[in-house]
Amino acid sequence: MNITMILTAMGMVAMMSSPAFSNEPTTGLEVMKLVEARDDGKDLTQKMMQRLVDKRGNVRERRLITFSKDYGLDSKSVSYFLSPANIRDTSMLTWDYADEAKDDDQWLYLPALKKVRRISSSDRGDYFMGTDFTFEDIKATPELGDYNWTLMGSEMLDGKDVWVVEAIPKSKQLMKDLGYSKVVYHVRKDIDMYIKVDFWDRKGRELKHLISTGITQIDGIWTATGGVMKNVQTNHRTELVFSEQEYNTGLSDRMFTERMIKRGYRGK
Amino acid sequence: MHKLFNWILEHPKTILFLLFVLTAMAVNQMRAIHIETDTDAMLPKHSAAYINKQVLDEKFGSSDLVIIGIINEKEGVYNKHTLSLVQELTDWLGEQPLLRTLALNDLLSLATIKDIRGSASGLDVEPFMDGVPETQEEIDFLKQRMREFGIYEDVIVSADGVGTVLAVRPQPNARETYAEIYDLVKNKVEALEARGGGEEFFISGRPVIEGVFGVYMPQEMKRMQPIIFALLILLLYISFRTPRGVGLPLLTVLIAEIWTIGTMAWLGFSIYTITTMLPILIMAIGIADAVHFLSRERLLAHHTEYAHRKERIVEVMHELWKPMVMTSVTTGVGFLSMLSSDLPPIREFGIFAAIGIAYALIVTMMLFPAALMLLSEKVDHADRKPLFIDYVEWSSKAIIAYPKRIMAFFAVLVVVSVYGATLIKVDASMVAQFKPDDPVRHADTVLNKHFAGTTSLDIMIDTGKENGLLEPEFLQKIVDLQTEIEKNPIVGDTSSIAEFLMIMNKALNEDDPAFYRVPDSSDLAAQYLLLYSFSGAPDDFEKFMTSDYRQAHVVINMRSDSTDAVATILNDLQAKTDVWFPESEGYKVDWAGTGYTLDALAKMIIDGQITSLALSILAIFLLCWIMFKRLLIAFIAMIPVSLAVTVNYGTMGNLGIPLDLATALVGSMALGIGVDFAIHYLHRYHEESIANNSYEESVINTNRSVGHAILFNTIVVVGGFLVLLSAALYPQMKLGALIAATMIICYFATVYLFPVLLGLGKEKIKV
Repeated sequence: MNITMILTAMGMVAMMSSPAFSNEPTTGLEVMKLVEARDDGKDLTQKMMQRLVDKRGNVRERRLITFSKDYGLDSKSVSYFLSPANIRDTSMLTWDYADEAKDDDQWLYLPALKKVRRISSSDRGDYFMGTDFTFEDIKATPELGDYNWTLMGSEMLDGKDVWVVEAIPKSKQLMKDLGYSKVVYHVRKDIDMYIKVDFWDRKGRELKHLISTGITQIDGIWTATGGVMKNVQTNHRTELVFSEQEYNTGLSDRMFTERMIKRGYRGK
Repeated sequence: MHKLFNWILEHPKTILFLLFVLTAMAVNQMRAIHIETDTDAMLPKHSAAYINKQVLDEKFGSSDLVIIGIINEKEGVYNKHTLSLVQELTDWLGEQPLLRTLALNDLLSLATIKDIRGSASGLDVEPFMDGVPETQEEIDFLKQRMREFGIYEDVIVSADGVGTVLAVRPQPNARETYAEIYDLVKNKVEALEARGGGEEFFISGRPVIEGVFGVYMPQEMKRMQPIIFALLILLLYISFRTPRGVGLPLLTVLIAEIWTIGTMAWLGFSIYTITTMLPILIMAIGIADAVHFLSRERLLAHHTEYAHRKERIVEVMHELWKPMVMTSVTTGVGFLSMLSSDLPPIREFGIFAAIGIAYALIVTMMLFPAALMLLSEKVDHADRKPLFIDYVEWSSKAIIAYPKRIMAFFAVLVVVSVYGATLIKVDASMVAQFKPDDPVRHADTVLNKHFAGTTSLDIMIDTGKENGLLEPEFLQKIVDLQTEIEKNPIVGDTSSIAEFLMIMNKALNEDDPAFYRVPDSSDLAAQYLLLYSFSGAPDDFEKFMTSDYRQAHVVINMRSDSTDAVATILNDLQAKTDVWFPESEGYKVDWAGTGYTLDALAKMIIDGQITSLALSILAIFLLCWIMFKRLLIAFIAMIPVSLAVTVNYGTMGNLGIPLDLATALVGSMALGIGVDFAIHYLHRYHEESIANNSYEESVINTNRSVGHAILFNTIVVVGGFLVLLSAALYPQMKLGALIAATMIICYFATVYLFPVLLGLGKEKIKV
């Protein structure tokens, strides 16, 4: 649960040529398995800009540079804040485990305190870093076993043919943990990437909309270079812009250690 | 005028049809009337208190929360049963569509608030209660953490551990659901209570208070109306003893009432607590016109022969229209003087009372002639000895025999009243409008006893620059300000972003108490908040600061909403914030919240009171001068009402009845109604004088005719307003009692003091 996930969620990678199913999927679960079965590269370096826009239009902007790398099913990532000035050089290290039973590890280095601090693990429905994304939202694909999936049909969205898949959390407890009673994914058939997600709150009311933008191929990998999550109840929205992506550059393991995040980002 | 009267008499059916259509239209409009219970809406839209409240709600979220208190006197709240109730109620509230429960500050309870803890390696932000604690150790830990954390002590759990509070926000802009929310929560809480256990539940908070008000107001209107009608029927029957004598006046006031409310709805005005008293007022005043018309018509029918009844009715109309218009104008002017108030409820009360009185006059002049033309002519009832005639005759004798005693009595009354008037207080408290045994007021009292208080006072400080509130100097000033405010015993608690930053500072320094202070640098504060955002929700601090870290919000909870308490704190603090956060350094301090609103309301009540009273005295005096064409008589005409008004304020002061939105109306109302008595009396006395009667004869004759009419009028007005004593809300009760008392004084001053004053001097005063 970390920046890697934002990256994978937003900068989704699809293998054009080899879908997991040779035939058109017939169930919602099959569609989501296609989404899950994507290769997102071995590692990724990119810059991200977060724009938090409140209901009055006040904007808070942050810039980060992030490095992430896969370790089998686990992954590690490091992010450095570049701006605003008062949090510059604050950095974050995350070790993300595929094992459900194991909590992720997360550290933050605060330059003003000159100390590295561990961050307690969060619940899936908790909001992330003041954005409109919850920890659940920033995963590349949701935990398929937690929902009942239904393929609602196909439609045209922005000129693209998409599957519409509805996800209902399997239990009341899950609904409470996730904060959603229903989620609907719009998955592009050509690249197995969801480009629009709608969320309904626990009371069954329309809550949020996620829209991916600027979908292009980078280093041969399909990537969304922008995304907007808008909460229609609070009228707060989060805009993300990704740039300078570089896939599979062979990042060294040394980058993903406490010692390194204390040093700060030195540029290239 | 004659032409108009003749036209009315020649087209009775058209007139009745017209009245019917207009009334039907008004009834149709009435259904759309809106009831306003929002205290802030009672302030003028341009006032600082109104504007600041809107700004506060927009920037920091509405502070109007439904508060549910759970008190367990025997075991306290730290036990499994009570905590499981807290959890259950929290979950239930989270599912209610009428409530907004998106963020932490939307639903605050032991089951939602978050602990910020330091550990050897970092910072933990976790709910104090993650589900209901299973073991005694877990419960003890919870208790210990709440105490150490401090911020929520007295706010969520009482310092003595006996009670806990859940606070939840209604959906925004859904004021009309407040009553429904109260019922919903009440039913749930009753169901929980019915299961047994040592817990008692209390529901309060501004949405509840305002919601209940909104329910009480129309209920009370509907309940009291029939009682007043019954009373009127009785009085009218005693006076006239014919069906039309009862029916026509009743119909007149009813139509005038419906037209008034219909006009309000049509023009888009809302009903406030005090405007619910309009129907009763219109009834009490409007009946006078009807009674005068009927009395005169009867008298003429009895004594004079007319070729046709049409001529007789024209005669009545011709005789009466001038005095009726005169008295309606003076009464109307009394009410219109309320326009000088800044407060919409008072202004609207004045306007629509004046409109209602005009309607009553118009309806009387249309309905009576038309109806009398259509109803069959009946042989008049034999002369009956008028009721109270013995008393009236006795009073005339008493006036002539004991002028000095009468003077002495009124002199003493004035002295006592003037003294009382100096003691008068203002109170705009919402809660004080409920009776002490009302569940809402009781709940509020209990919650104020155990917790930080249900009345909010808010300070919004704009530092003038982005990230300004992160500066250590600024944060320290906030801390000092809070320390200063909390010295006042009426303040239960204060909170601000500074407290949270201090806790984080301590948590990130190995929980070392020495670090329980504001962060050393602006950057450090920014980094703490970033760190917090990884574990907490983005809007956890939305209540305390804007997202650009420019404006801070200090929340003050007070245990009382009495105007005295609020005014003292405000005066004290405003002086200090001016020094600590000077405008010259770019700061801007704004106040808001229930406390501030009520303080503004109180100030406007006093200001409006003084100007409207002065205006109405002046206007009515000028009208009297124009009518009687003599300055001295105009002065004398003002005496009974001035006396009655003085006694009104004296009584309030002496009995400790505070000046509030409702009682503030009494002065001008009494002036407007009471001056009619004087005008009628002086008119008659004038007639008697020019008929060359002696002083004594004039007094006796005037008393016999006008004195009797005034007595009837007084009984109707007093009776009508005394029905308000049965109201569920204090403002209506107080207003009813005060008007009744004032009218009685007015009656006595007119009938007893007037003749004594007119008898002063060797030559007696000629009118």
